[in-house]
Amino acid sequence: MKHLTLLTSVLGLLTTVLTAQIASHVVRTKIAGLDVIAYPTGVKDVVTFHGSLPAGDAFAGDDNPAIPSLVGMMLDQGTTKQDKFAIAQKLESVGATISFSVDTQTAGISAKCLKKDVPLVAGLIAEQLRSPAFSPEEFAKVKKQFVGGLKRRLENTDFRAGDQFTRAVYPVGHPNRQPTPEDLIAAAESAKLEDAKAFHAKYYGPAHFTLVAVGDLDVPQLQAALGTSFTGWTGGTDVIHPAKAIATDAPKDQNVFMADKTSVSVILGQSSGLRYSDPDYQALKVGTAILGSGFTGRLMANVRDKEGLTYGIGSRMGNDTFSDGDWRISSTFAPALLEKGIASAKRQLTLWRNQGVTDAELAKRKGDLVGSFKVGLATTDGMAGALLAAVNRGLDVTWLDEYPKKIESLTTVEVNAAIRKYVKPETMFLIKAGTVPGGAAPTPAKN
Amino acid sequence: MKQKTLFASLFVAVIAAVALHAADAPKFDSYSYVKTVGAISEYTLDTNGLTVLLMPEHSSPTLTFMVTYRVGSRNEVTGTTGSTHILEHLMFKGSPNFNDAKGNSVKQFLEGIGGNYNATTWLDRTNYYANIGSEHLEGYMAIEADRMRNLWLRDSDRKPEMTVVRNEFERGENSPFQALIKEISQAAYVAHPYHHDTIGWRSDIENVPIEKLREFYNTFYWPNNATVSIIGDFQPAAAMALVNKYYGAYPRAPHPIPQLYTTEPAQTGPRHVTVKRAGQLGVVAVAHKIPPGTHADFAAISVLSSILADGKNSRLYHALTDKNLTTGVQNVAFFNHDPSLHFLFAPLAPGATHEQVEKIIFEEIEKVKQDGVTDTEVQAAVAKSLADSAYQRDGSFAIAGNLNECIAAGDWTLFYSVEEATKKVTAADVKRVANEYFGADHSTAGWFVPTASAHPSMAKAAAPKPAAQPGAK
Repeated sequence: MKHLTLLTSVLGLLTTVLTAQIASHVVRTKIAGLDVIAYPTGVKDVVTFHGSLPAGDAFAGDDNPAIPSLVGMMLDQGTTKQDKFAIAQKLESVGATISFSVDTQTAGISAKCLKKDVPLVAGLIAEQLRSPAFSPEEFAKVKKQFVGGLKRRLENTDFRAGDQFTRAVYPVGHPNRQPTPEDLIAAAESAKLEDAKAFHAKYYGPAHFTLVAVGDLDVPQLQAALGTSFTGWTGGTDVIHPAKAIATDAPKDQNVFMADKTSVSVILGQSSGLRYSDPDYQALKVGTAILGSGFTGRLMANVRDKEGLTYGIGSRMGNDTFSDGDWRISSTFAPALLEKGIASAKRQLTLWRNQGVTDAELAKRKGDLVGSFKVGLATTDGMAGALLAAVNRGLDVTWLDEYPKKIESLTTVEVNAAIRKYVKPETMFLIKAGTVPGGAAPTPAKN
Repeated sequence: MKQKTLFASLFVAVIAAVALHAADAPKFDSYSYVKTVGAISEYTLDTNGLTVLLMPEHSSPTLTFMVTYRVGSRNEVTGTTGSTHILEHLMFKGSPNFNDAKGNSVKQFLEGIGGNYNATTWLDRTNYYANIGSEHLEGYMAIEADRMRNLWLRDSDRKPEMTVVRNEFERGENSPFQALIKEISQAAYVAHPYHHDTIGWRSDIENVPIEKLREFYNTFYWPNNATVSIIGDFQPAAAMALVNKYYGAYPRAPHPIPQLYTTEPAQTGPRHVTVKRAGQLGVVAVAHKIPPGTHADFAAISVLSSILADGKNSRLYHALTDKNLTTGVQNVAFFNHDPSLHFLFAPLAPGATHEQVEKIIFEEIEKVKQDGVTDTEVQAAVAKSLADSAYQRDGSFAIAGNLNECIAAGDWTLFYSVEEATKKVTAADVKRVANEYFGADHSTAGWFVPTASAHPSMAKAAAPKPAAQPGAK
């Protein structure tokens, strides 16, 4: 019973921590050149890591665009010290996981383990980042998996619409612009191991590398493990800070024809011209949520609930962590309801853009955004993701405490001014992916 | 609002922060105490038979409230397939007490407080849930309890919602993977209603009359066919008083809840399906009949599943992915109320053939049946299970999701007992279950064969001319 009482009081203390200021409980240190953010929570035994360093696809520049992703895929294919099966065995024997990913600007690290295994996982994260084996055999396999994975995504209407949208909204050279799938496939097939090694040597390093650990943490143990594992590592570079995207001359209305699809994915959107840390961002974000967030947003309430034209429709801002991003409405429609659905969405967009939002709508949406923010921080994944996102957005970890106040302080006048200033329906691109009525006929598959 | 996809992890959440003993579990007026296992206590509301599960856990000031109805697509027949799911959608259309016009509908309330909420329908159950700040428990419970018996269920709501659900069906049909799973299930089950997908047949979605949906509601949506779960930061006495206040108003169902009596006849030979559609790369899937989630062999089957296809040291990763024949391998052991399916998925790498990959899958299974597995393989699978159990208790929302599947399988204590069973699995057990359940005669294999596809460059519009980007690297 004594044990129970003690444990209960500890849990009570941690509950207080979560409801109090978050930043004051963050332990942020520079360890071996890494920006390490530790945040102990009341969860039992679980530790979650999220991290990133600038080595994303945009760093390919004018060189082979597949190289950054291929390098990311090589990280868990063995190191100079041990092969991939030995590493997998070490992790699997304790149920730990480490995974790597690559997006437009960063290489990402995610890991999960039990408290006792933090030193092991910290060591393996470091070993895989610092000294991948780059064996020719594994590189050949990774190239094939990359091409296979991309071809499989080409079967997905949402992916195809989103992929095409980047080339409509972002000009050549902008980090958010994706190469065409056929260019990427050709690039992967012709990629050379030497180029992968050179990319790793040039961009992977501790400078601008942030690693967040959240959960049942022994902070000194974590810091010691990271110090041991990363000491001596050098290099790294900052993210790319491009100029704001200028308008492209891409066609405003584009179809990506895909045979045998029963639902068409649609994106209607534009460049937002805003980065997350820009002063007007939150006002436009709240306004956008009123238009298209959740089941009570105007789009779902009308296009889905009243008219029954779609299973899902929403609006959001994105791709704005490191640079200016985009604003979009996304939805799906049956081919027979496509034009009706698009017309309905445009009707809501026009009403919202021209008449603005009401005081009542703003008050309710503030409650939603602040409440869901709090709920989202209740897991180690949610907290680690939020801390890393704040840093990557160029903000301090204090942002997690400031965010609710910022949202609460917004006025209807500010929100409507941001909508009018940044949202330009006449400049928007409309992308449709699927078996679009009147679209092109399919060609035979190669495989 | 959405269909539940696969219950991907058999290894459900286990061992809460503070395990209670039965003697420690508080007792409450108007409730019969049933049992305590781990940190969860079960009670029955005396007036109507509602099951209540309490799991206090105070690591954050949030909680998850969930009601699980023991009705799913297994309770449907020809003409009403998809009804469980359509009814779930209509549960958001309001009642005389809580509706959009009044500004207090479930959507309006939960989005006003930032709740993470939804509902899911699956083979054996339907659940409604919200992950919310602890102070909002009563507000949500009042609405959730109200729609158990007071739903409007109007045809004027069904008509526009039918096209919404149809688009959900259409979105699912877009995916070759989902199409393949559906067709394998249709071939694997001849008599049992796991034959049809939870979303239902398109013609049933379009034509089921509101009277049938009302009949469904009046048959299954009663307190004695439901379990309320409260997980997270709450005070048990106060929460139980609220449950009594809002659910205690209803009587038991005036009829016995119908029980499914159809069983699937024994399968006497291998089955095979092929799905041909436009696409890029093929897929091979192999399904085997496995026992229900409550069966004593389920833990050993899960360990076998992990050894076959979970991670870089799995048998199929070595035999397929590491040999450039697939882009990965996946395993899913369906955890259900009735005998279900275990799936192995092998998405083909460019250049690989269906015949080649399917042959290797069956050969690898045969090796396990003949030669068994190593103790090291078993230990790794068990370790992954134990760690995953800890990960699954990271927040009340994850706990609720897994508890929901155990309720649906027929015994919520599986939430704990599966882990205990998993710890005891031996290499001999794995070999035995491989021979008992993974025979070719119990298998249904499926191929997705891409027949044609639009080339990536087939954007109808002209390719955009590059625009210069000043300042970009």
